[in-house]
Amino acid sequence: MNCESRNVKQIARLVTGSLLLLFLLLPQGLPAAEEQWVLDQCTLSYHVSHPLHQVDGVSHAGRGKGVCHEGQCDFLIAAPVKSFDSGDSNRDLHMLQVTKGAEFPIVTVRTRLPESDAKAATIYADLEIQFAGQTAHYKQVPFQLIPQGSEIKVTGTIPATLSDFKIEAPTLLTLPVKNEIPIHVEMTWHRQ
Amino acid sequence: MRDRTANLASALVVMIVLLLAPCLRAQESEATLSGKVTDASGAIVANAKVSVKNPTTGQTMDVQTDATGTYNLTKLAPGEYEVTASAEGFAAKIEKVTLAAGASLTFNATLSGLPSAPPPQPQAPANNPPNAPSSIKEPSLADLGFASAETKSHLKEQALLDKRTHMLRIHQRLGLITTIPMIASVATSINAGGRHTSNTDRTVHMVLGSATADLYFMTAYFAIRAPRVEGTKSRGPIRFHKAMAWIHGPGMILTPILGAIAYSQKNNGQRVQGMAKAHGPVAIVTAGAFGAALLSVSLRF
Repeated sequence: MNCESRNVKQIARLVTGSLLLLFLLLPQGLPAAEEQWVLDQCTLSYHVSHPLHQVDGVSHAGRGKGVCHEGQCDFLIAAPVKSFDSGDSNRDLHMLQVTKGAEFPIVTVRTRLPESDAKAATIYADLEIQFAGQTAHYKQVPFQLIPQGSEIKVTGTIPATLSDFKIEAPTLLTLPVKNEIPIHVEMTWHRQ
Repeated sequence: MRDRTANLASALVVMIVLLLAPCLRAQESEATLSGKVTDASGAIVANAKVSVKNPTTGQTMDVQTDATGTYNLTKLAPGEYEVTASAEGFAAKIEKVTLAAGASLTFNATLSGLPSAPPPQPQAPANNPPNAPSSIKEPSLADLGFASAETKSHLKEQALLDKRTHMLRIHQRLGLITTIPMIASVATSINAGGRHTSNTDRTVHMVLGSATADLYFMTAYFAIRAPRVEGTKSRGPIRFHKAMAWIHGPGMILTPILGAIAYSQKNNGQRVQGMAKAHGPVAIVTAGAFGAALLSVSLRF
């Protein structure tokens, strides 16, 4: 009887020990929770060159989100085309027309980056931009990352052109604008 | 010698044919996949993404549907493909198709709305609306908090914008053309209004002035009749451009009237008198306002 009781105690200890071990090991075995990046501030500006003047259209209406999974983060940044303000309502309406802004009201930028890139000073992103009903891909676009406390400031310029999106160059006094419309990006992200 | 040359030429021709044959065969064997993407109600889905993947070769191609919801994928090698049609707010539709050599296959996709998609929020909370956490792997526009009205295609509005731009482009060109007779009328006014003037000088000035007025009213017509876009407030240099119209518009009505009176007085051997004396100053102010309007939208001050 004593021997049986000792055996039961031993088995109980073994089970308790195994359970403890299991609890200690289990969190590592569980899939990692998805991490998200939240866009706090976003300034997108396009630059248009014309022989008679230079124009910058700015939007602060960009929204974005990044979802990380298994070491890779998928980012989406989007802005309404009509939110770009060049300081002249007539020019903005003209830009809205040539970029088919009413038909395709949102410009989206998608990219996938390794989670570890958050620690780098410069990242090189492959971008997929949907704009004016067209999709353009830009390879290895450099962006500067500046850590600011718990946030990261991201700046860079996308070397976009009108022909990438099959946009007819707007003209003023019969002179067309340059094909290059670099888009400057300034964003502040924080991890959630 | 001639035989050898002929043989060489024949060999070359055979070689070229052999080399080109695979290319020609490849072109002949290329298949096309096209179709339309609609939603459950049958409405077209513009800007939807249609991608094809050949699981054997790993070849992928993607294209977006146009404003009529149609797509066209060309130069596809024959074989089995996995076709995926997707769009924001809809569940992706995946189908397998087999493309025969040189075939033109039509694949129409009907997308159904995401059952788990939250209803569009008219006004999301101000502090963190667009970036609410989500369990979806890849973020979507719905995750960013855009209302459906913001992402929806507005074809009527686009047509209105197209018409507006078309009319204002004509307005701009006619305005530029108007400057030519306008400058010429100002230049010829020196000989037309002085003490020692001839009938010819006055007639030339009058003809140029009439041409200016005609072109001006045509220019104005295209600006006045260009469709207005609701909810747009005038900002920037265009406000000055429009404000100038309140000066050069009445000026362009007054100037020819006063000019006609002055012309008549001069032709009768009289001195230009009464309100006809204002023809010159009114014309100068009108031309100045017109020039300022033109420059205000052309140059950045």
